[in-house]
Parts: sequence; C-alpha cells; structure tokens
Amino acid sequence: MSKDILVIGGGIAGMQASLDLADMGLQVHMVEKLPCIGGKMAQLDKTFPTNDCAM
Amino acid sequence: MEKVTGSNGDFAVTVRKKARYVDEDLCTGCGACAEKCPTTVPDEFNMGLGKRKAIYKYYTQGIPSTFCIDAVHCRTFQKGKKCGVCEKICQAKAIDYKQEDKILELKVGAIVLAVGYDLFDAAKLPEYGYGRITNVINALEFERLLSASGPTEGHVERLSDLRDHELIHSGEKKLKKATKTLGKYEKKHKKSSADFYKEFTAGNISDGDEFAKWAKQYESVQEATKKLEALKAKAEKFDVATRLAFIQCVGSRDFRFNKYCSSYCCMHSIKEAMIAKDHEARTDAYIFNMDLRTVGKGFEEYKVRGAEKTGLNYVRGRVAEITQDENENPIIWYEETTSQTPKSLTVDLAILAVACEAPKGIEKIAEMVGVELDHNRFFKTDPLNPLDTTVPGIFVCGCAQGPMDIPESVAQASSAASRAAEAVAGKA
Ligand SMILES: Cc1cc2nc3c(=O)[nH]c(=O)nc-3n(C[C@H](O)[C@H](O)[C@H](O)COP(=O)(O)OP(=O)(O)OC[C@H]3O[C@@H](n4cnc5c(N)ncnc54)[C@H](O)[C@@H]3O)c2cc1C
Ligand code: SF4
Ligand code: SF4
Repeated sequence: MSKDILVIGGGIAGMQASLDLADMGLQVHMVEKLPCIGGKMAQLDKTFPTNDCAM
Repeated sequence: MEKVTGSNGDFAVTVRKKARYVDEDLCTGCGACAEKCPTTVPDEFNMGLGKRKAIYKYYTQGIPSTFCIDAVHCRTFQKGKKCGVCEKICQAKAIDYKQEDKILELKVGAIVLAVGYDLFDAAKLPEYGYGRITNVINALEFERLLSASGPTEGHVERLSDLRDHELIHSGEKKLKKATKTLGKYEKKHKKSSADFYKEFTAGNISDGDEFAKWAKQYESVQEATKKLEALKAKAEKFDVATRLAFIQCVGSRDFRFNKYCSSYCCMHSIKEAMIAKDHEARTDAYIFNMDLRTVGKGFEEYKVRGAEKTGLNYVRGRVAEITQDENENPIIWYEETTSQTPKSLTVDLAILAVACEAPKGIEKIAEMVGVELDHNRFFKTDPLNPLDTTVPGIFVCGCAQGPMDIPESVAQASSAASRAAEAVAGKA
C-alpha cells in the first residue's frame, strides 16, 4: 500500500493536479516525456478569454 | 513510463528517466554551452520555425532550467565526428556524455493520466495545401509567430518571407566566402577579376588549370550576386502579413476525420486575430466558420467584442479549397452561405484551426495501465464520473479525456487530484 500518487504528463492539467496533491500533503511523482514541463500552453502567446500571457 | 502492475491503492510503476547528459545538480542554466555548440537544428518548441542547438533548453522560461543534449544530433554522439565543445565551455563541469538512462521503481496508490493531446495533421486534407503552400500554417505555428519570444519576436511574417530572409542570409555568407577566394587570385596575379575574365573569354589567356578555376569562380560569384539581388528586390516588396484568413474546423466536424467539435478552436482563432490586430493595426482578419462556438463563461461577449471593437470579419461558410497566386499568397475559395455565392479572397497567411486529437502513443499507455479508450481514442470515462477511467484508482484530466480549453483542464485537474487523494485516504 502506498499513499504516493503518479501524475503522467506535465501540461497545465498535470501541473495543476500535482500542485493540488502536493498541497494536500501527498508525495507526487510527475512523469513528463519532454525536457521541460508546461505542455501546449507554454507554446501559446496569450490565452482567451482574458488575453493574459500564457507563461 | 514502461510498466505498471498492481491495482487500486497498490500500483508498482517502472519509469525510465532519460539521460540528459547534463548533471542536474551542477548545471546553472547559464547557456554558455548552447552559445558555442556548433550544431544547429530546427526548434520543436517553435514548431520548426526557429533554430536551436544540439545542447539546449526546450524553451527559455522552461522548468527545469537544466540544459540537455539531443543525442540524435549532437556531434559527440554521432560516430566519426569529434566535438566536445560544451564540455570544454561548461565551468560547472556539468556535462556528462556517459550519463545513462535510469530505471526508477515507484510504488503509488493512484495514477492521474494527464497526457494531453496532439494536433491534427492538416496535410491529410490536400485541398487546403498545408505542407505544399508555404503560407498556409496551423494555429499553433501562428501562436509562435505572435509570441515576443518566438522566431519573429512577435512580428507576423509570411513563411515565404522568412524563408527568403534565411536564403538571403545564407546567400550573403556564401558570397562573402566566394569573393574572398576571388581576392586571392586577384592578389596573386595583380589583376581585377573582371579584367581577367574579359581577357580569358577573349581567348587571350588559355593555359593553366588555375585560370579556368578562377574564371569558373568569377562566373559563379556573378550568378550568385544576381540571384541575391533578385531575392532582395522581392523581399523589399513585402512587409508584415496583414491579410489573415482563419479556417475553422480543420479535421473536426468532418466525417472523414474526427466527427467531434474540438471546442476551443473558435475561441483561439478569435484570440489570435485580436492579438494580430493589436500588434499591427492595419491587419484585416477573416474567420471562416460554419458557426462560431463560443461556449464558456464570458466567451460570447469575447466574440462580440472581437467583431465590434476589434473589427474582425466573421464569414459563414466552409472553405472548399486553398490555392496560391504568383506571389505565394493563399487564395481562399469558399461559398458565402448567407448570399449563396461562391467567392474567393486573397490573403497573406491562411491559418488552419486544426483539430485536437488524442496524443500519439495513447494506445500504448492504455494498454500498459489497462484502461479502455473511447471511439475517438481518448481515455474512456462515464458522463457522471468524468474523471474515472475504466480502472479504479486511475483518473484522467485535461485533453487526454477529450478536447477542452485551459479553464476546463484546470477544473478537471483539481477534481482529479481530489479523486486520487480520496483513493489513497486512510491507506498505508
Ligand atoms: C493554437 C491553440 C491555441 C490555444 N489557445 C488557448 C487559449 O487561448 N485559451 C485556452 O483556454 N485554451 C487554449 N488552447 C487549448 C489548450 O492548449 C489546452 O486546453 C491545454 O493545453 C490542455 O492541457 P493538457 O495539460 O491537457 O495537455 P497538454 O498541454 O498537451 O499537456 C500534456 C503533457 O503531457 C506530456 N505527455 C504526453 N504523452 C506523455 C507520455 N507518454 N509520458 C509522459 N508525458 C507525456 C506532453 O509532453 C505534455 O507536456 C489552445 C490550443 C491550441 C492548439
Ligand atoms: S551545462 Fe554548463 S554551460 Fe551549459 S547551461 Fe549548464 S552550467 Fe551552463
Ligand atoms: S470549436 Fe469551432 S473550429 Fe473548433 S471544431 Fe468546434 S466549431 Fe470547429
């Protein structure tokens, strides 16, 4: 039995899930296939509906 | 991830940690190595529109900030070539060509699948010319053109102009080198190349291999200069791209490919058109759509603002074909359904709103963890339990579940986190 959680994918969904889990005090392992996390969102210039910078 | 065994509350997972060939604890992310690395390759992050080195960081603000070596392109990893430049440059001694992949064995109570999506390959739709017509691009490529940290620093340029600028740049470099060689002949024989060539072609100088080479070199320099001048004259005529056509539902709502609506692309095209107009006030943007689907909090108002404040043109009708004119400008052929007339419009860039598809390799992940996929290849869920896969203890969120935008992905992620926490509560 383990209380650790595995998150596969480090895009916005994976990052948000991991942060929430860590905030709950759980140990999270995140696996990302690319050299950096961020996923597609990091490639966007600005995002709707606020047109804020995606970074 | 390589292997998963066990069940809810008790999974054993094997993960391969790929070698970066750079020590994470030592690398300071200074970038000195990449500056000196002699190997240049197309940059995936910028959709191949820019360049990066063989030792690189995926993107400037990327986390972790550790650099990594792309062993497929790095000279040190390619047989027969010596390099080792980065190792010499790195003051932190972080480079480690011998680093190996590490196998990690993890014990976890729950798994969250957040593997996202891939873009539909627009080349599957030959009538739109993607991959054949240079100035037809996809929406993510356009995002990189809009970005201040992108390959054009936020200037919206036609891809054909970018290509020509690149050709001018490399042409100038080559010409400089070739002119230098001419200079050597001139110095040796104390004669200008033009004078020599006149004599040579008049038949006054005939003997000697070297003279033939000199003449040939002179001819090629003349030709290269002419070509370069023509390219420059052509490049001068073009400014930033101001006439933009956004083509909706490319690979979505199309019975040949994906029947579903990708949900976020109407909004991202409106957004991209607004930003382009913000960067360049002369921009004329047309969004070709069957209907603009702007479902979400504040989205409809966003669409109306786009038309009324920003002056975007929404054209109702599905585009039939894209061709190009002699200046490589895309011509959009469409039926304007409101007046039932076939029409065409010439633009500088055509931007395809490509569908959101389940990521490549999702079948492999599904098989490894034992979950089912739905008929669109996304992870299968139940409408009343949208985060639960078909295996207890394994959850899904974001576009791996189906097409959705960022606000929805974030909401799902927080919910999936709660479901996963619930699954391990009271365990161990
Ligand atoms: C052109 C364009 C513009 C957009 N603009 C907006 C916008 O303005 N506003 C908005 O709300 N939405 C926008 N979207 C939608 C937005 O991109 C998505 O909603 C969001 O990125 C989904 O996040 P995700 O984490 O689910 O997926 P992704 O961002 O795809 O992240 C998935 C991550 O998982 C990794 N991964 C995949 N397979 C594996 C594996 N086998 N092992 C390990 N890791 C893996 C990937 O490398 C990636 O990092 C836009 C989309 C496009 C195409
Ligand atoms: S590997 Fe060395 S030179 Fe390259 S970024 Fe890291 S510390 Fe700097
Ligand atoms: S969101 Fe708009 S462009 Fe995207 S598939 Fe749906 S209707 Fe077509």
